[in-house]
Amino acid sequence: MDQSKLISLSEAVDRYVIDGMEYASGAALPIGSDAVIFGREILRQNKNNLHAIFHCNSQQLNLLAAAGAVKKVECGFSGLEVFGFANGLGRKVESGEVALEDYSNLAMALRLLGGAMNWPFVPATVNIGSDIEWRSAFSPEEYPAKHKIPSVTDPFSGRQIGAFKPLKPDLAAIHVSMADERGNAIMLGTEWSRFELSRAAKKVILIADTIVDTDCMRQYPNLVRIPDVIVEAVVYWPFAAWPQSSPGLYDVDEAHMRLMNKALATEEGTTNYVRDYVNAYSDIKSYLDLIGKENIEKLSHSETSFLLDPFRKWIKTPEEIAKRSRGASV
Amino acid sequence: MSAHLSYTHQEMMAVVTGRELKDGELAIFGVGLSMLAGYFAQAHHAPSLRTMTEGGVYGSTPVGGLPWGIECNRISSNATSFTNAIDALGCLVASGRCDVGIIGAAEVDKYGNVNTTGIWNGEIGETYTAPKKRLTGAGGANDIASGAGRVIIMVTHELKRFSEKVSYISSPGYLEGGNARDRYGFVGGGPSAIITTLGILRPDPNTKEFELDSYYPFSSVDEIRLNTGWDLKVSPNVHVVPDPTEQELAALRKVDETGMLRKN
Repeated sequence: MDQSKLISLSEAVDRYVIDGMEYASGAALPIGSDAVIFGREILRQNKNNLHAIFHCNSQQLNLLAAAGAVKKVECGFSGLEVFGFANGLGRKVESGEVALEDYSNLAMALRLLGGAMNWPFVPATVNIGSDIEWRSAFSPEEYPAKHKIPSVTDPFSGRQIGAFKPLKPDLAAIHVSMADERGNAIMLGTEWSRFELSRAAKKVILIADTIVDTDCMRQYPNLVRIPDVIVEAVVYWPFAAWPQSSPGLYDVDEAHMRLMNKALATEEGTTNYVRDYVNAYSDIKSYLDLIGKENIEKLSHSETSFLLDPFRKWIKTPEEIAKRSRGASV
Repeated sequence: MSAHLSYTHQEMMAVVTGRELKDGELAIFGVGLSMLAGYFAQAHHAPSLRTMTEGGVYGSTPVGGLPWGIECNRISSNATSFTNAIDALGCLVASGRCDVGIIGAAEVDKYGNVNTTGIWNGEIGETYTAPKKRLTGAGGANDIASGAGRVIIMVTHELKRFSEKVSYISSPGYLEGGNARDRYGFVGGGPSAIITTLGILRPDPNTKEFELDSYYPFSSVDEIRLNTGWDLKVSPNVHVVPDPTEQELAALRKVDETGMLRKN
């Protein structure tokens, strides 16, 4: 039996992304491992009305919101760390086009854990006593909000705490450093909440910077935090997190982070960005050309490169990957 | 400013914040200037400070300047452990194990409540309306404010940032003061200091209202009161904080290799 779950990016989005669905990604931090390329493809295929569940904002959510593909967002952090506010997401929230329901970073991870465990609720000892509890963008008329983080009594101490609603997104597109064709994955750097998300989501697609032989997973099974049994499909796409970083593989592209966020600050800038960096490539090669050969060399020459060293001998070439992919090559 | 040393207000804020951290403590830093203050302390006077970031990045120090984010190569190239959010913010902070956290603020009020969610220009009202300017949200700061033993708030001292009452509490300080935090059973003790580009504010032990504790060689009580949006009380023991020493500045600038604190 062919165990390969490798499919093309376009096929993955076409088959798994449905208008109006709860779409999760970005279970990494705002400037790191996120399946940014998956968001670009969502725009290329004009999917919309998404309910985005992003532990933290990333350039993917910033772009999807700016281009009008997202109507609702649940998020723990909505900026871009040292790169500042997320201009695309921010202006859509300010205009009222996007309803952004705020939680904290621990809350989002706990809600994913709650979904993964099929718990009825998760006890909340954070976010209570703040406007995160009292204000709801999904029920703006209700103040203080009663259904966002309702109060419950700790049955042991009698103390009043909150209850978080578990998350079970319809689909998760999870960026990983390495996957094999069956869907086992290794993440370098902090996994943030990708472990919990992979168990909470109804369907999981991996977007992998590299494809490695399954022997690699057998050598380091402790590092395989996402096993194939919960993975629907695997997409190979180098520099999938660009302009964000992927520890061990490439650094954050500072110039493009700024260029992108500046563009997303206006409708016109967003239209131009989509023209120049979303619709302007036709395959992996032309995508990499867009990033630029010299730039790729510079970004790949990372202080973290040594993190990939133990795994390099198992990395498959694009030709080997193409042979194992189902369907079209892009 | 001292006769022979020149430094920026932001550098002073970072040095003074760093001085709050003690050797051996378990400390968590947010991304940005608080990270520079924290790693400065470790490089200067607290070599056994146990540091972590909310991403679950342990054992590392910044390489090549202020990290752009927690997953940045500048903080991920010499780590000894990478874990995850539930571990860092949950097992180590919500549990009550973390001694001290440093967070930033767009707006802070007299009880140390922090707003990083949005600018509404005043009260939001009964209906939750969209902000005039959307900010970053709470991130991990709410978790740190609820769970860390004590919290240091680092903020640029400007009138617009110092309000009688914040429009939105993203991260709880002492709420409406006194023992209001007790209602929620927070494991963390609340903010111990608001350290600014002009001085240090500390809470009254009973009312929890923040008062002016000290100012810098280049600032004054009047200047600080003028830049504070409530009638700031001045401690009877108000005093001047000493300049950064040469050693402190050298240690800070080594961590702040790209000069983020010297830009303004």
